[in-house]
Amino acid sequence: MAPQAQNILLFRDATVRYGRLTALRAITLEIPCGSSTAILGRNGAGKSTLLRAVLGWQRLTSGEIRIGDAHPQHARPRLAYVPQRHAIDWDFPITVRGVVEQGRYPSLGLFQRMGHADREKIEGALEELGITDLAARQIRMLSGGQQQRVFLARALAQGGDIFLLDEPFAGLDLFGSEELTHILRNWEAQGRTVLAAVHDPEIARRCFTRGVLLDTGLVAAGPIADVLSPANIDRAYRHGQCVHDRRARPAAAADLPR
Amino acid sequence: MSAHDLLVAPFSYEFMRRGLLSAMLLGVSGGLLGCVLVLRRLALMGDALSHSLLPGVAAAWLLFGTSTVALFFGGLIAGLLTALGSALLSRMTRVKEDAAFGSLFIVFFGAGVALISKLPTRLNLADFLFGNVLGVSASDLGLALAVSGCTAAVFVIFHRSILLETFDPVFHRATGGRGGLVHMGFLTLTVLNLVAAMQTMGVVLALGLFLLPAVTAYLWCDRFTSMLLLSVGLALLGSVVGILVSFHAGLASGAAIVLCLGFMFVVSALFSPRHGAVGALWRGGSR
Repeated sequence: MAPQAQNILLFRDATVRYGRLTALRAITLEIPCGSSTAILGRNGAGKSTLLRAVLGWQRLTSGEIRIGDAHPQHARPRLAYVPQRHAIDWDFPITVRGVVEQGRYPSLGLFQRMGHADREKIEGALEELGITDLAARQIRMLSGGQQQRVFLARALAQGGDIFLLDEPFAGLDLFGSEELTHILRNWEAQGRTVLAAVHDPEIARRCFTRGVLLDTGLVAAGPIADVLSPANIDRAYRHGQCVHDRRARPAAAADLPR
Repeated sequence: MSAHDLLVAPFSYEFMRRGLLSAMLLGVSGGLLGCVLVLRRLALMGDALSHSLLPGVAAAWLLFGTSTVALFFGGLIAGLLTALGSALLSRMTRVKEDAAFGSLFIVFFGAGVALISKLPTRLNLADFLFGNVLGVSASDLGLALAVSGCTAAVFVIFHRSILLETFDPVFHRATGGRGGLVHMGFLTLTVLNLVAAMQTMGVVLALGLFLLPAVTAYLWCDRFTSMLLLSVGLALLGSVVGILVSFHAGLASGAAIVLCLGFMFVVSALFSPRHGAVGALWRGGSR
């Protein structure tokens, strides 16, 4: 059965140019909700631009994106965003609970205090990701996997059903990656929509059911195994970059709290 | 010398009461702004910004005399020109923002010093640079009250936006926050406070009242709100002690306040149990 319009992310000729540089070229694509999709491609292939466009704060040069029936800016309550790890200042004076509470801020008025329903969402998110016991800790005092869970909990507390993750596996050690894979698979099983920019095809194969392969233009989209066929990978990464170019990772110990 | 002579008698002079009140008012707003400066790593930019106010203030003085309003707008215009100018330079040329800011502010500062050397002789360059508590007029105090009140109100009303924009600007924007607006508003508030703090602290030292309490609080607090509150408390304490020290030791008020706040910072950097240097050595690691 075809999914209803409410449950589709639709890209029609979506194009983004920065000056003379084309970051995203005429993407036409449907992503069904309720699945987990990896957005793949080499650096500069348009992964982040695509995410930003779905979030509604990268304007398209031409074409359109619809989330259900809505323009991204009107679909904002459905969207929850998880930033890259390196974008976060881990020394910031804030606790785990403080970060998760931020998930409720967008839906609060200027002078409105958090109500019972907000508290419940926050507790629920902490509980679901198993970080209730860590709630009073400063965020540096966590392992890499735990840190990632804090930001997933903030996204949950937002109450949306579409989760946009920017390179969620970057900088995670092996254990952290396993943890995250487990969580994201669970989310998909619960019917949540996950859209993640992913650098590493091997991780994408293990963790996601669908894939979108970009090379500024669309190379392939569909079930992950089909998308990551040798021919497609060759096309998407042909600009002299090696597919299995795993950048030197810090040793596992470097990811533990200092 | 009795406690009365030490602590109370100095404030029988009106200029001392004005100086103290002005420093305390700006301590409240400076303590708040300083936290954002520290957490967004804008400390050096704030320093540059404060230096760049000088030509605006001097030009206003040349054209309009000692009017507080004129000095205020002169400083404001010079500060905003530096901030906007360096943003434009970094966007339109290959010069990066730090170099753009550094170059512009030093040119502005030089122009300010040149202008002041042309001012009627009664004025002292040192007072501009390092502050003179004797110079705080009733209208200066009014300005400090207005600026401090505005800043505190903004922090109370927009507490959540400020936290989001400071901690995670991308998330803030992704959830419909007006990141650019918050950032511009923050820069404007900083310039306003620097101008208002100039009489007591001087352009070179004014930032000390903002930065030092905040960076000291940063060494103690693991929550944003407690950092804000502690920073304000430290700024108030430093202002009172500093003004008293300046009276008894005959020091420039700005220098005395900065030294008091600096003492608290050094002690905290060494001995804060969780984030200080001695504790880290004791635990046998870098941090």
